Formats: sequence, structure tokens, C-alpha cells
Amino acid sequence: MSYFRGGAYFRDMFEQALWALKDNRLRTILSILGIAVGITAVMAVGTVGKGGRHLIFNELETFGLKSVWIFRDFVEKDPRRAVRKGTGIDNGDYAAVDAGCCPAVRHVSPVIRDFTYRPSVRYGNQFAKSDLHGVNADYLAINNDNLSSGRPLRVEDEQRHRRVAIIGPEVERDLFGGSRSAVGSEIRIDDQKYLVVGVLAMKDRGFLESIGSAGGERTNSRVLIPYTTYQQMRGNDEVTFLQVETKGLDYTGAAIAQLKGVLKRRYGDQYAYKTISMEQYIETAGRILKGVSVIGAIAASVSLLVGGMAIMNIMSTSVLERTREIGLRKALGARRRDILLQILMEAVLISAIGGIAGIVLGLLASVGLALATGFPVLPSWWLLAVAFAVSISVGLLSGYYPAYRAASMQPVVALRYE
Amino acid sequence: MIALENIAKSYSRGDVAIPVLNGVSLEIDSGQFVAIMGPSGSGKSTLLNIIGCLDRMDSGTYRLDDVDIGSTSDDELAVVRNGKLGFVFQLFSLIPRINARRNVELPLVYAGVAAAERRRRAIAALTRVGLQDRADHTAAQLSGGQQQRVAIARALINEPAVTIADEPTGSLDTATSHDIMHLFTELHRLGKTIVMVTHEPEIAAYAQRVIHLRDGVIERDER
Repeated sequence: MSYFRGGAYFRDMFEQALWALKDNRLRTILSILGIAVGITAVMAVGTVGKGGRHLIFNELETFGLKSVWIFRDFVEKDPRRAVRKGTGIDNGDYAAVDAGCCPAVRHVSPVIRDFTYRPSVRYGNQFAKSDLHGVNADYLAINNDNLSSGRPLRVEDEQRHRRVAIIGPEVERDLFGGSRSAVGSEIRIDDQKYLVVGVLAMKDRGFLESIGSAGGERTNSRVLIPYTTYQQMRGNDEVTFLQVETKGLDYTGAAIAQLKGVLKRRYGDQYAYKTISMEQYIETAGRILKGVSVIGAIAASVSLLVGGMAIMNIMSTSVLERTREIGLRKALGARRRDILLQILMEAVLISAIGGIAGIVLGLLASVGLALATGFPVLPSWWLLAVAFAVSISVGLLSGYYPAYRAASMQPVVALRYE
Repeated sequence: MIALENIAKSYSRGDVAIPVLNGVSLEIDSGQFVAIMGPSGSGKSTLLNIIGCLDRMDSGTYRLDDVDIGSTSDDELAVVRNGKLGFVFQLFSLIPRINARRNVELPLVYAGVAAAERRRRAIAALTRVGLQDRADHTAAQLSGGQQQRVAIARALINEPAVTIADEPTGSLDTATSHDIMHLFTELHRLGKTIVMVTHEPEIAAYAQRVIHLRDGVIERDER
């Protein structure tokens, strides 16, 4: 037997549903509102989750997503041993890693930094704060750094201990004020003359810096000089830490093991080492985003639950009020499925209207948020589809019980209902 | 065409079963106009509901057009009602929100008839009961007599074998009641089978056969 008799039949059902909803205008509007709020919340969760991911990953990328740092752990774990001097890493270790003894490592740069030493940088009578790094030619690539002008450091710069520098955009602004080109100018770092050969492009770590997770580095105030030049100034061949780029995100563990292995072979147990990997940060960021999403999802679920209960309530009341009508329809030949479909269609109509209203509200809210805060991402089509599917599901779930009750009525009982 | 044999039905009130029909046997031939009378509590409405496939008997057999009604499912009963039976009730005969034409079309909606065909047949049925110019009126815009005539038009639209009428004049004034009964008489003359419950002797007088029910059994069968 053909139950669903094509478009005309559905159109009839749809019209019946519309009539019924118009009869209970206030209750219909309230239920629609309930669903709309829930769907708006779903949209907000999706948008914040996606926008947050975009924002955080954009900033994490400024460290190089495949970066691993290894440096000496100065906390001596064995209290009977005196604390040794030195960073525990020198040019020999760098050379070993650079020569390819660690297969999981693609690039490596020695980095010399002195966290207690912030030399003044001067051009004429202009001064700038700086964050001085001694690095090699691969450093820029490892850190996803670009130059806004000039040239990168070259291997000859290292070999000849040249006094050349690449300066960050904030250093350039403070020293040159945008009035003239920094490249080709001579600046003084602690009264030593350096030739500016390049200027770093601006990097945005606003969010990470605002939550104190940028590693204490003022990225746009960096001044990069050849590590050999820095070592000459300090009078030794120590390296503060090695920064490596692994062959891929899956190689982090292998790279750490290989780096530690190299150092262990050279120094035995003389020093302890610590590593930091971007993988850890990516995982932490993922966990935080997931936490935010879960909280948001709970809030959205609660409001959808309330909206669904409102629909169940309005549909139950409406079914009760129309008991005689349902009896009459059954007397005239309506089968269970005809009644079930009609009531379900009413519920889905409410939730679909609520869903569309919620999607519109959610879009407006995220556009507003984007304009107000510069939050980078708008909801995707995928999110819209999910939000709409959720609202339809809520209608189906909450309409099913009232529809089932209506469909199960015996015609004689329904007709006799006062 | 309607063959009832030893029909029994009781309702339970709390723990007590109250018998309503105590073994009713009855045959109604095609084309008969039958009135069922009896005091309240005699079981006449219950009998009509069983004949109209709206209610189920506890025991006995009921054959309608050689279909064994006792062994059909709820949905099969709906199909039987839709195809073989037309209904006119005392109250709430029409769905209030929709207009007369759409009310008349309802059995055809559930039969799956196309919209254009439904409309044509609904207008024809309304014309038969003299309400072609009220097709767009809702129930609230129609008088009681007009509402019953719309209900009769609806009962006719699927050309049913039997028209079931439960106190069709119960809420109408005398003049209108007689108008409605003239309509039933005319349908009878055209060959329709009509089974009607009433408690008014002058309404029952329109029928060619009157069955008197008392305490759930047939007391008298007048032809």
C-alpha cells in the first residue's frame, strides 16, 4: 500500500500544521524562541571554537610548528654534586647535529641568548630595547621568519665573524622612525658597530603574549647577529640552546631522543637537559579549545533541551485540545502514520523556524563579534548545516511522543472526549 | 451486507465490568434505511460505533461486505472506514479551522486522491446538499443545519456503502431537523444504506426499519 502519496499529500499535511500553529500563536513563538536561543548558542560555540583555533594556531606558527628546543636543565637533581658551570652545549654539539647525526632533524640553529644581558642598541642619538640573539643562517627558516627588507644571514657571516645584524621591526621603528631605510646603516650594540643587513617582518603574537605564553621573547624586538660574532664577544664557544626543525610533526619524540643521545655520548651524566617542543603547545592549545567547546556545547545542549521540552509541551497540549479532531480524522480514514506525520510536521515546523532564526541570530552575533574584536573567522557552511540538522532533530525528538500519543488514540474514545 | 452475530461488549469501570451489548444479532441489507432507538444506556451508540468500525466488540462476529471486521488491524479498519463508510455525528462534525470544501475533501485526502479531483468532487457533493455557494465558509460561519449538510456531503464524497449517522439532528431545531431528514430520505431513494441512531420517534419515522434496543439486546425490530 502506498502510504506517502507524493507532494500533494505532504502539502496538505504542511497546511494542516501551519493552521494548527497559527491557532496557538503565543506558545508557538515561545517555543521558536527557545530553539532559536539554543541554535544561536550552537553557532557561537562553533564560531568561537573555529576562530580560536585559527587565532592560536596562526600565532603558534610564528614559533615554527615543528620546532624543538633543547637546553641545559640547571636544577641539579643530585644534591651531593656541585653545580657545574656552563650551558652544557657548545659548537661541537651543534656541529654533530648539523652533520646529520640526528636523522629526525631537518635544520638546526645554535642560539646564544643571555637573559640577564639586554644590551642597548643605538643609532645616532636614538636608543631601542632589544632582545639579542646569536644565530646561524638556518634560524629564519626554522622560525618562519620573513624579511621586510634586506638579506638573510649567510654562512660567510658566521665564518668571518662579521659584525652584521638583522633587526626586528620595533627596533627599526625606534631607531629610524620610518624616516630612512635601516638596511645599510650602522648601528651600535654596546658600542660595537654593526651593519644592518636586514629587517624582520612583523609577527603577531598578541594573543599568546596577552596570556603570558610567548616564552618571554619580544619577537618584534629581536636583533639577530651571527652566533660566532656573539661567541667572540663573550669569549667562549658555548651555545645557550639548540633550536631544531624536525622532519615533521610526527618526528618530535624521535628528534628529542636523538638530541639527548648526542649530548649523552659527549658528556655522559655531567649535565641534565630539558626540551620544549611545539607539539606540547599544540596539544595544550587543543586541550584548552576543547574545554571551551565542551562548556559551550553543554550550554547549547541545555538551551536546546529547554526548547525541545517547550515544543513537547506545546504539542502535547495541542494534541489534547484536538482530541476530537484527531478522532474525527481517524473516523474519516486517517491511519496511524497520517496522524503521526501531521503532528511531527508541526513540531519540526516549529523547530525549523527556530533553527533558521537561531542561525540568523548566530550569524549576526558572529559578524558583530568579528567587527568588534577582530576575531578572524565567520561560521562555515558546515556549521550552518549542523545547526539546522540539530534543530530538525530536536523537533523530531520532542514531537515524537505527542505524535505517538495522538496516533495511538482509539477513534471512539477520541470522539467521545469532552 | 452488514451481518452481526451474537455481538457482546462491556466497559470496565474500576474492577467492575459493565455489560453494554449482550449478544446482538442483526442483518442489514444493502439499500436499507435503519434507525436504532432505545433509552440512554441501552447500548445503541455502542452498537452504531461497532457497525461504523470505530469500536471493537469483545465477542461475536461482524462481517461488512464479506470482510471479517473482528480480525482486522487498526490501520486496516481505517482503510475500511475510509472506503466503505461515511459518518455524520451529532456534534463536532467539522474541523473548525478549515473551510467547508476542505472538510468535505478530507476522506479523499486520506484515500490519496489528487487535489484537482478532490476539489471537483467536493464541489459536486456540496451541490448535492445545496451548499455550493458556502464552499469557502468555515464551520463558524455556518449554521448548525448547514454544518450537518456539509457533514453529509463529506459522508457521500467517497461513495460509501453505508452512511453512519449518530443523532444527526440532535442539536438542531425541528424545522432544520426535518430538512436534514429529507436529505437522508433522498439519499435512501438513490440507493444508499443508512444506519442512524436517534431517540426521537418522529426522526426514526423517516426510516423504513426501526430497531429498538434495551439493556443491550434487541427488544423489537419493526419494518
